Amino acid sequence: MALAIRRKRTRELLLIWFFLAPSLLIFLLYRIIPLLWNGVLSFEFWSPYKPAEFAGLYHYEEMLIYDDVFWQAFWNTAIFMASAPIGILIALMVAILVDTPIRGRNVYRTIVFMSYPVMTVAVGIIWQWLYNEKVGLFNYVLMSLGIVEQGIPFLETASLALPAVIVASIWQVLGFYMIVLLTGLQNIQPSLYEAAAIDGANAWMRFRRITLPLLRPSIFLCFVIGIINSFTNFDLIYVMTDGGPSHATELLVTYIYRVAFKLAKFDYAAALTIVNFLFFVFLAWLANRLSGGEAGAVETG
Amino acid sequence: MNRFPKWVIHLGLGIICAAMMVPFYWVLKTSLTGENIFAYPPALIPENPHLFYYVDVWYSIPFFRYLVNSVIVSIIVVVANVVLNAMAGFALTREFMGKGAIIMLFLSCMMIPFQVTIIPAYLITKEIGLLNSHLGMALPLCSTIVCIFVFKASFDAIPKSLIDAARIDGVPDWMIIFRIMVPLSQSAIATNIILAFIWSWNNFLWPLIIIRDNDMQTLPLGLARFLTVVEDSTGALYAFCIMVLVPGLVIFLLAQKQFIAGLTSGAAKG
Repeated sequence: MALAIRRKRTRELLLIWFFLAPSLLIFLLYRIIPLLWNGVLSFEFWSPYKPAEFAGLYHYEEMLIYDDVFWQAFWNTAIFMASAPIGILIALMVAILVDTPIRGRNVYRTIVFMSYPVMTVAVGIIWQWLYNEKVGLFNYVLMSLGIVEQGIPFLETASLALPAVIVASIWQVLGFYMIVLLTGLQNIQPSLYEAAAIDGANAWMRFRRITLPLLRPSIFLCFVIGIINSFTNFDLIYVMTDGGPSHATELLVTYIYRVAFKLAKFDYAAALTIVNFLFFVFLAWLANRLSGGEAGAVETG
Repeated sequence: MNRFPKWVIHLGLGIICAAMMVPFYWVLKTSLTGENIFAYPPALIPENPHLFYYVDVWYSIPFFRYLVNSVIVSIIVVVANVVLNAMAGFALTREFMGKGAIIMLFLSCMMIPFQVTIIPAYLITKEIGLLNSHLGMALPLCSTIVCIFVFKASFDAIPKSLIDAARIDGVPDWMIIFRIMVPLSQSAIATNIILAFIWSWNNFLWPLIIIRDNDMQTLPLGLARFLTVVEDSTGALYAFCIMVLVPGLVIFLLAQKQFIAGLTSGAAKG
């Protein structure tokens, strides 16, 4: 009898590991091994055509001390990230508006959200067209209102290119922020507002004292999405500006792609990747600390 | 927020929605009336709309080939995601040694964005000979941690007594899975299908790296290439954009409810 139970248990264990194996294999192959491999590569001189050679900190020294483009890409990524609150603020306003009991609010929600599932490459092409110097909508409006005499080449001007790309990026992610915030708003008990109203709190005070604190996890989640977005937004940059003009819109991820797959400097790109990853982990840790350490936790039980 | 009159709210939302819709409208208009491209001022309402540019796209590039490639990759990704994530999610509902470690491993994998793994991922794919292939494009997307946890939560919500009752009645385990657990997890399955489809349909960086053959390009690659190759046929470029956007938007509008529910349930637990 004991033997039968043991055999049954072994069979179940086999089944469990058999079920886990494919997913584990994929994550091992495309997440864990690449990360470790990047670490190794970054300390080597290596290219597909010659054997590896130990390089010590050579690539890191090169990057941190001599590579201006790296620093440019680093700061651009940071600016991209710092722009997330603007999008979140707009999304918060929209979420509050579509949370009110008005007619057609589902239609409004759908329209605001519609830009999110759209292919980013297409978004880039559409926005590049809107920014066009001669026939773009923005210049058309600006000229019609008499604000400018001649069209502005937004994406070809170093100081305007990054903000222009950021606007397009906010446009795309706005609906997603809105849905996250709306879910948070709908989880707040209406009785809290009623009690506060009876106590004589005005609308602004209710917003400050009830809505904002209870919405904190949702706002935090939006921030995390914003951070990830600024580290991974490759498609939009590639299509709209390809990092130009003169690296004004270069992000770390586009720079890594350029160094690895255009210049074939895989070892240097690996070092860039490691710095990029550490930066990302540091920010995620910081955000988690600032939000009280509990946010983003998944129930593991 | 009740102090605002309704018309103010409608006005505010109207302006926001207009801002969200204008880019779509502009590209649609341009795809229908190429002759206005260099006209100034641009007409706001399309004059003499026609579909010539759509026909152009269909014949001037292997659009159908790109479409087939995109569809093949999406099918592989969607099927693999549903099956593998459900399997892994099911395994995580059971007790076994090392379960905590596995969960920690999954969660830390979530912290590694795919974009920082592209170089070794490319080298690995080259080693296993999957460069330039549908499977190579699909493989990194074939399982998703977020969706594993969606399935786990869904399976956990099934009452244990139901399964025990079936066991006592002598129903074999595999039949319990197909007859009880799968039908009761329909919303998790729907969420996973939609998310996996959108991810693979829009995926750009990975195919860009591993695909060299013209025959293997997917729609986003074709679109990006079209942008750099044919500079004078703006109308056709925008027709191409619309043709690529429509499938994603249609799927989204059909499955809006699950899509939004899936996004928020998968993401928000904080």
